[in-house]
Amino acid sequence: MTAAHIAFAAFALITVVSAFVVASHRSIVHSAFGLFFTFFGVAGLYLTLGADFVMAAQILIYVGGIMVLLLFGVMLTPSRRSDFVPARFLRALTLGAIVLVGLLWVLKNAHWATQELASPESTIDEIGRQLLTREQYLLPFEVVSVLLLAALIGAAYLARRRKIVD
Amino acid sequence: MFEQSIILSAIRDAIDWVLGLVGQDISILPLPVQVVLCGLIAAGGLMGAIAFAVLIYVWMERRIAGRMQARRGPNRVGPYGLLQTVADTFKLLRKEDIIPTGANRILFAFAPMLVLAGVVAAFAAIPISWDADKGEPIMIADIDLGIFLITAIVATEVIGVIMAGWASNNKWSLYGAMREAAQVVSYEIPLGLSLLVPVLIVGDLSLGAATEDQLGGNWLIWRNPFMWAVFFIFYVAGLANCKRAPFDLPEAESELVAGFHTEYSGLRFSFFFMEEYASMTLISAIGAIYFFGAGDLFGLQGSSSLIMFGVLLFKILVSIFVMMWIRWTLPRLRIDQVMTLGYKVLTPIAFFLLLGVTVWDLYDLNDKLWELFSRS
Amino acid sequence: MLNPAMPLPDDPLDRDILIGAGDISTDEMYINMGPQHPSTHGVLRVLLRTDGEIVTEAHPHIGYLHRCAEKIGECLDYIKFQPYTDRMDYLAAMNNNLGYAMTVEKLAGLEIPERAQLLRVIIVELNRIASHLIAFGTYGLDAGALTPFFHAWREREEMLTLFEKICGARLTYNYVCIGGVVNDMPEGWEDMVLDFLDRFEKRWKEYNDLLTYNRIFIRRTADIGVITREDCVAYALTGPMMRGSGIDWDLRRDRPYMMYDRFEYDIPIGEGKMGTVGDCWDRYWVRMVEMKESGKIVRQAFDMLKGAEGTHKAKVPKVFKPKKGECYVGIENPRGELGFYIVSDGSKNAYRMRVRGPSFCNLSILEKLLPGAMIADAVMIIGSTDIVLGEVDR
Repeated sequence: MTAAHIAFAAFALITVVSAFVVASHRSIVHSAFGLFFTFFGVAGLYLTLGADFVMAAQILIYVGGIMVLLLFGVMLTPSRRSDFVPARFLRALTLGAIVLVGLLWVLKNAHWATQELASPESTIDEIGRQLLTREQYLLPFEVVSVLLLAALIGAAYLARRRKIVD
Repeated sequence: MFEQSIILSAIRDAIDWVLGLVGQDISILPLPVQVVLCGLIAAGGLMGAIAFAVLIYVWMERRIAGRMQARRGPNRVGPYGLLQTVADTFKLLRKEDIIPTGANRILFAFAPMLVLAGVVAAFAAIPISWDADKGEPIMIADIDLGIFLITAIVATEVIGVIMAGWASNNKWSLYGAMREAAQVVSYEIPLGLSLLVPVLIVGDLSLGAATEDQLGGNWLIWRNPFMWAVFFIFYVAGLANCKRAPFDLPEAESELVAGFHTEYSGLRFSFFFMEEYASMTLISAIGAIYFFGAGDLFGLQGSSSLIMFGVLLFKILVSIFVMMWIRWTLPRLRIDQVMTLGYKVLTPIAFFLLLGVTVWDLYDLNDKLWELFSRS
Repeated sequence: MLNPAMPLPDDPLDRDILIGAGDISTDEMYINMGPQHPSTHGVLRVLLRTDGEIVTEAHPHIGYLHRCAEKIGECLDYIKFQPYTDRMDYLAAMNNNLGYAMTVEKLAGLEIPERAQLLRVIIVELNRIASHLIAFGTYGLDAGALTPFFHAWREREEMLTLFEKICGARLTYNYVCIGGVVNDMPEGWEDMVLDFLDRFEKRWKEYNDLLTYNRIFIRRTADIGVITREDCVAYALTGPMMRGSGIDWDLRRDRPYMMYDRFEYDIPIGEGKMGTVGDCWDRYWVRMVEMKESGKIVRQAFDMLKGAEGTHKAKVPKVFKPKKGECYVGIENPRGELGFYIVSDGSKNAYRMRVRGPSFCNLSILEKLLPGAMIADAVMIIGSTDIVLGEVDR
């Protein structure tokens, strides 16, 4: 057992437990705060995979941006606690069990290509080079950024306050 | 991981030495334990240093406020009133821990810790000095991500504030939380853009690399004509990010009672207090390192890392003094004015400056101008 | 409502408003500003209905400081009621003393010696400065600038020392009394006051550099809380609240009492220098200029005092019984027209006493001004009315 194993176990535990809270808690705000820890756990998992840039990006974007937006939305909706409905619970349980069995089946039968990893090097240089050189991914990168810009403008257009016309 | 940073390896040596007293050495501890132990000691030391710094800052703030407001400020407890903040700390520690009825107890208790943790964690990536012998910055973790990681980690503070505001079950607190969310998320854009400029010039995200790059008076602020404007944007956005006046809207005491920490008292309140000063220090430190040569004093400081640390500290203190000066001079902006300033003024200017710096660097205008100048 | 744990308000009136509103959409909420809010200048409570940061409705609730002052005035001797007037507008206690004393004197037909009148003018104008200093300082606080408050307090502290020298008290003076003033000024007091005024005028310029012409402050006050001339009349606003809207009306000049017709001074009115006529900045500026003008009046009064006749007080009988009748006297308090209306049935105490408080009347426009403003503006608007809750609630 190495330090990496322990770190993985810790982050995985945070992720799974908080994800459980997200799914099971009655109060939607609690779920949102639970999601915060899920994001953190996932960021930690990225770190154990040696993807340090993705880790930081995960925190910056999900925790700093999306979480805040989400909390805004959740806090401004009337927070009714969802009631416990046995029939609904049974349906969910059945569906969940089916998915679980499916996943386990895939896990068991999949052909996992494994490779011994070298000690994690910083990925950021490589990512920068790949994204911003013409031979590599510059064009897709720019296309995606234009797409995001279009989405942003669209969202702003849809969300702006319109004058009510009778 | 130990070969990555001077501070961590020093801690490891210290543990080794302590174990040597009982006739052992560090290899009896399994590696994970070593890692966690060194990390805990470093975090504890960092926390202690920040707590001590906050004591000094609060004293400074009170004395400076006193001077500006034609009064004396604390002057009875200890020499120059220096122990006043220590006494106040004890007062805060002894206070009853009040959690209001209807508050969400878990989140209410957790929020102050989260707020403080984010900012303190960011200090791990701040180089405090330069080791000339090894040619390495002295810092807890010299990570390649550097400033990117710092901006990411600091973002968690917003969540803590929202949590505090919501969990307090107080409408004024909720207003504070909403303002914090709107303000801090918006100002991350000009802040990030203005930080991109030094990163671009240094060519590395790590602040350690920036320290090295500026040794001998080669400060980034002199590198091209845009840098002062970039620094100004950075400083204004930084003020907004650490909720200092005139951007102290989340806790605007004349409007929102005390904003998101209205319901907090005692130790939990002091966490918010520490966070504010810690983030001021963080912004000041980043400013000093990225614009004003970190611990460098035109090469006059020699090779002593202690003096370099002192110089950096001095630069940070000057910046913090300016922040306090601003706070005790200016009235507060309104929330829509804050947002307008962020989105319609600072962000476009920051973009323009980024473009300018890029062009300047791309065509090496420094050298070309110098040639032109020396020829004539 | 945002949080399920948030209860309905206890106050039945609040609940009426809440339920009566009918269609409460989720993005609007009710919020109590006060009575323990830092910038309601005392125990005012404003119930705000807000849509995000914008106020859509505002209901001021008053009465938290009610002490039955008017009823007490009907139960006590005329002379014994004098100290109670201090406790109404405690920031301008001298002016309140004067308003009451003048009403009773008119009722009783007392002649006041010239010297006493001049002493009254001096002390009342000094108190006007002291009162406006608070208005200036707390307005800075409302805007988030803490330093002007301390600077204002430094000068007020000096003034209070001057008041203490002449009457022994620093807040509730009870100096102006029926028939004149309690005692003549002590030796050397004149020089101290003139000395103070010299210093004050220099510092007045400092205030303007620090706060008045600050860009952020102007942005926070100009075009905010605009009161039109019509609204001024409709809501019976007086004092700087009205003059800020450009109405040139000051009781000292337009309905002269005591010796105000013999002084030379300007009456500032709002001109919309930084925005619209009648905005918060105009009201603030009117108060600032009034401080300077009051200083002028005090200087002239001291000059006149050298040749003034009579003593500091007229003879007032020990058992004071004005003849049957009624009368009203209004004076220009720092906040507007302060009026006392007294009905006498010829006995030792008043049959009916009524106070027309400027703060109370000025407060009434909040309900109209606040909707549409942001919460931060609401604070600035409430600050610009410069109310003293002691007098609103009486």
